[in-house]
Amino acid sequence: MEDKSPKSFLQKLREKAAAQGNYGGAAEASDAGMKARDCPNCGAARAKQDGLTRCAYCGFAFMDIRLSDGIHIKKEDNSQ
Amino acid sequence: MFNLFSNNRKETVPEWVAGLEETQQRWFAFLEKLEARMEELCTAAIPELKEMLAADEDTYQRTFYKIQSGINGQMQHIRRKAYDTYEEKVINARYAVRDGSLTGMGSDYLTGFTQACSDRYHRDFESKFNYWQGQLDQAAVKDYEAEYRRILSDFEQTKNSFACSQCGSPLTIDRIFFISTYITCPACKTQNTFEPGTSARSLQHIARSLAEQRTRHLLAAYEAENELERELYQANHELKLSLIFEKDRTVTAGKEQQIRANEIRRQEAISNAPRMYKAYLRAMYDEWNNITPDLKEHNEKMYLRHIASNHFPS
Repeated sequence: MEDKSPKSFLQKLREKAAAQGNYGGAAEASDAGMKARDCPNCGAARAKQDGLTRCAYCGFAFMDIRLSDGIHIKKEDNSQ
Repeated sequence: MFNLFSNNRKETVPEWVAGLEETQQRWFAFLEKLEARMEELCTAAIPELKEMLAADEDTYQRTFYKIQSGINGQMQHIRRKAYDTYEEKVINARYAVRDGSLTGMGSDYLTGFTQACSDRYHRDFESKFNYWQGQLDQAAVKDYEAEYRRILSDFEQTKNSFACSQCGSPLTIDRIFFISTYITCPACKTQNTFEPGTSARSLQHIARSLAEQRTRHLLAAYEAENELERELYQANHELKLSLIFEKDRTVTAGKEQQIRANEIRRQEAISNAPRMYKAYLRAMYDEWNNITPDLKEHNEKMYLRHIASNHFPS
């Protein structure tokens, strides 16, 4: 750096920054999407009133945890 | 040089004076060179930073941040150079003088040398450094308002384009979700999982910066009030000093009145400042809650911690 002018320093910096890869790779932009998870055991969809943790028809456990209050999920979303 | 040689004392100039004078000149010249390089770097870097900030296509603008930290590193390198050289050349030269009879002219000269070199560095060079660093920081300020508008328009375009994956009836997204959410189909009551896109997800990350940008005038008002308190304190200090040898009664009375008025305003500033800071915080958190209402409960807890951690006089 000592014998070079700041302009060439900037150019080098820009080239280096452009060439350098990012940790974790390039960021991929994703679009919003909608999907539903059906019961892999019997094929039934999950309805609001039946809760999220178990299949209302065959009892398949979608999750092994008990849900607590979060931003969008509430305690009431646990299956009975 | 410092009017040290005007009084015709019968002293001989110590032989180390010439050496120190040379050191001082070289130190001044060196700092000028560093300042010139700093200015050159910044005048080239500021448009570059602005351009890069607008042009970087990466979602997190990582290329821009790499360039910014490269430039900041170069600034720190220049500053480090000044610091090291000051230690090595100036301080060492000053302590290398081992004159047993450091009284009168020798002592005056040494004090003058130390003071001049220190002022040139700690006052002039550092203030130039701070000025340019501030300019660089300003060039790198993002316009969060534009980003927010982009997120809102993305949301407006996509909010009606979803359907229930079970029965196909349309689902409306009524507000911006920035994390995955269950959406209940109004027709068949199926729980659909809504995955927000990248732009909606980024709302959570820019919300605070945007709120701060919107309320920065309140922060600036608080900072100005704080500064006013310091300025009035200094002004009163100067006035009190000027009273010591003042003989004219009317001048004394006038200045004393001025001091009292300043003191009243200063006390006001002392009691205003914490209130203004609280007002800023409240406005900032309100703005934040407006941008991401889903995080309101969490943010309010943070607000309570925030005001509890600052020791405001009540």
